[in-house]
Amino acid sequence: MRSFRVGFALIIAGGIRLSLRLLGKGATALPGKIAVKIAPRFIREMASGCDIITVTGTNGKTTTTHMISESLRKSGYYVATNVSGANLSSGIATTFAQELRPVRRAVSKGLKPVYVLEIDEAAFAKVAGDLSPKVCVVTNLFRDQLDRFGELLYTRDCIEKGLDMTDALILLNADDSMIAALRKNRESRTEFYGVDERSMTRNNVTDTVASRALPASSDAEYCLSCKRKYEYGARSFGHFGTYSCSSCGDTRQEPQQSVYFDPTKSSSDPGLPLVFQGKDYSVEGVLPIPGSHNIYNAAAAFAACTSFGKIIGDPKLSPIQVAAALSEVQPAFGRMEKIRVGDKSFCILLVKNPVGLDRALSMVASASDADGMYLLLNSNIADGTDVSWIWDVDFESKTMPDKLYVSGERFGDMLLRLIYSGVDTNQLRYASMSEAFVLFEEALSACEPGKCLYVLPNYTSMLALRKFLVGKYRLKDFWR
Amino acid sequence: MSKYSLKICHLYPDLLNLYGDRGNILALSYRAGLRDIDTEIVALSMGQSFEKDQYDIVFFGGGQDAEQKMIRRDLVTVKGEAVKEAVEEGMVFLCICGGYQMMGHYYQEQDGEKIDCLGALNVYTEARKQRFIGNTEYRCELPINDPIIYGFENHSGRTYLGDNVRPLAKVVYGKGNNGEDGTEGAVYKNVIASYSHGSLLPKNPELCDYILTLALKRRFGEDFTLKPADNQFEEIARKEFDSCKK
Ligand SMILES: [Zn+2]
Repeated sequence: MRSFRVGFALIIAGGIRLSLRLLGKGATALPGKIAVKIAPRFIREMASGCDIITVTGTNGKTTTTHMISESLRKSGYYVATNVSGANLSSGIATTFAQELRPVRRAVSKGLKPVYVLEIDEAAFAKVAGDLSPKVCVVTNLFRDQLDRFGELLYTRDCIEKGLDMTDALILLNADDSMIAALRKNRESRTEFYGVDERSMTRNNVTDTVASRALPASSDAEYCLSCKRKYEYGARSFGHFGTYSCSSCGDTRQEPQQSVYFDPTKSSSDPGLPLVFQGKDYSVEGVLPIPGSHNIYNAAAAFAACTSFGKIIGDPKLSPIQVAAALSEVQPAFGRMEKIRVGDKSFCILLVKNPVGLDRALSMVASASDADGMYLLLNSNIADGTDVSWIWDVDFESKTMPDKLYVSGERFGDMLLRLIYSGVDTNQLRYASMSEAFVLFEEALSACEPGKCLYVLPNYTSMLALRKFLVGKYRLKDFWR
Repeated sequence: MSKYSLKICHLYPDLLNLYGDRGNILALSYRAGLRDIDTEIVALSMGQSFEKDQYDIVFFGGGQDAEQKMIRRDLVTVKGEAVKEAVEEGMVFLCICGGYQMMGHYYQEQDGEKIDCLGALNVYTEARKQRFIGNTEYRCELPINDPIIYGFENHSGRTYLGDNVRPLAKVVYGKGNNGEDGTEGAVYKNVIASYSHGSLLPKNPELCDYILTLALKRRFGEDFTLKPADNQFEEIARKEFDSCKK
């Protein structure tokens, strides 16, 4: 039974949402914020009795959440999920408030409801207990907005705290040593997903220091417990790989569910064939959204859907059917989606931390249709006010398109980053944020027919850009 | 091959890889290259000894607490004496944040525990709960044409300077060494230390050139002069930063 207080909070939240919508604003956080103020147990009561899957970790939350949601929808579920970025307790409370009626309608039509929620790592410590999820997916731990969190280990502590407030099945990325360590003291309810070792690069190439550049190093080279340098049998990217510590014996756990792909094929072009493997099955599919990091997101989403199916006893969520559904997922608006404008297209890749930018640069470098790259860098609180991280990204080893564009409130920093990586200044066009959209038009018109302009904004510059694009090209809005 | 070249030693690059400090090495290398001066970068990590006659510039950056703990032990026991001798002999050092703290006498944790550091610089650091995080602007005390230096600080340590050590700069905006005495960073012989990430050198090309000049004079003689370079893009970045730093 819902308490009077929560009922009242729901009415108020509904009213706020309606007024914000009437004003033409996306009401993704405020209604929930007020609801939690009125009824501190709001999330706990609303979540009670619901089937919930949570996704947390520094990178890939939104895409993994999207992949899980779409796969479950295709399998006959009504999926309630939070809007990208609204992943603090306020956004989660808002989701519960606004999904109340749609969920009821779906149930009356015979659909099974499930909540798939992306949760910020720091917020996870606070809300995981209230949600009592069935499955908790942890994607990875990379440096992200350190000026907000202070330290990477603090972020991991938050995830750890959240996990201990639940009795959910925990799905961990086997290839991330920092994440895999979360299994300790939770072994009985932990499973792993990852990339098949045969799809990784063998580790026989040692870092070579070019005369003018130096390799960017990864986030977790040393064993956390005994400080010994990890040895890698194979690597996929960043600190992901088959690590082992010769001192304490900590080593990569064999994943129960893994993804195999041909490592000689490019993951930047659409349709990379994947094989989803488990103890007693091996099913084929394709990578629905290009990019090597999305292979991990697909592996996480696959594991989440099949594990969820096992827990609630739904035979429809079999490996074969999940693989088929997952293979057909379309990118969410503004995330990796190629948007056609006349005879050319543009593609937005959100980049908010070093590994994200590194992956995006690699992807552009190997995309056969790239004709121009546009980087936008802002430094608002939601972006992290420190932009130093762009220097941690290995621009030096990437092949860049001939046409480069730079904007954002901190375009000067990005400009220097490109120039110091050896880019010819004649290739560069730049503009301050107030001229960013003019520069976008210039970049798009300079793009050859049949080719694609790759746009790499960070968070708030992406929001500004989307707003412009929605108006200019009549694209569908990003909030529902 | 250019007839001039510099060897830059990067201390613990596999552990101290946060906050873009790597940009300082890229800047030294890039701006040396503008003057046809070659640079070679040597990575020196755990367990490797410091060859004090080998390098022209030593870069020592910052990292996370867990990693800095590992490094302190290695720095003191494996590299310690050689680094101290190099400092006394005038080798050029650039130390940022954690690297700066570790060059001092000790780092006192919030719970009062004192952790011994190298003691190559007469400074000490005490941790406080409140972290200083944000954009910074300082007036540099070194003889450079445009004395304004820009950066980004992120530290919970408060550093205090002892005798023989001068501040690198006076605080214009931000907190600096300790948020109390208006100083930022430290200079001792040819050691330059600062709390500025940012990265420091790309946005402060005059400071970058100053460091290069120190090293070049030491290697090729006092009459060595660095050719001027075109700083138009650095100026754009500085102007942009100044307009949005608050
Ligand atoms: Zn170990």
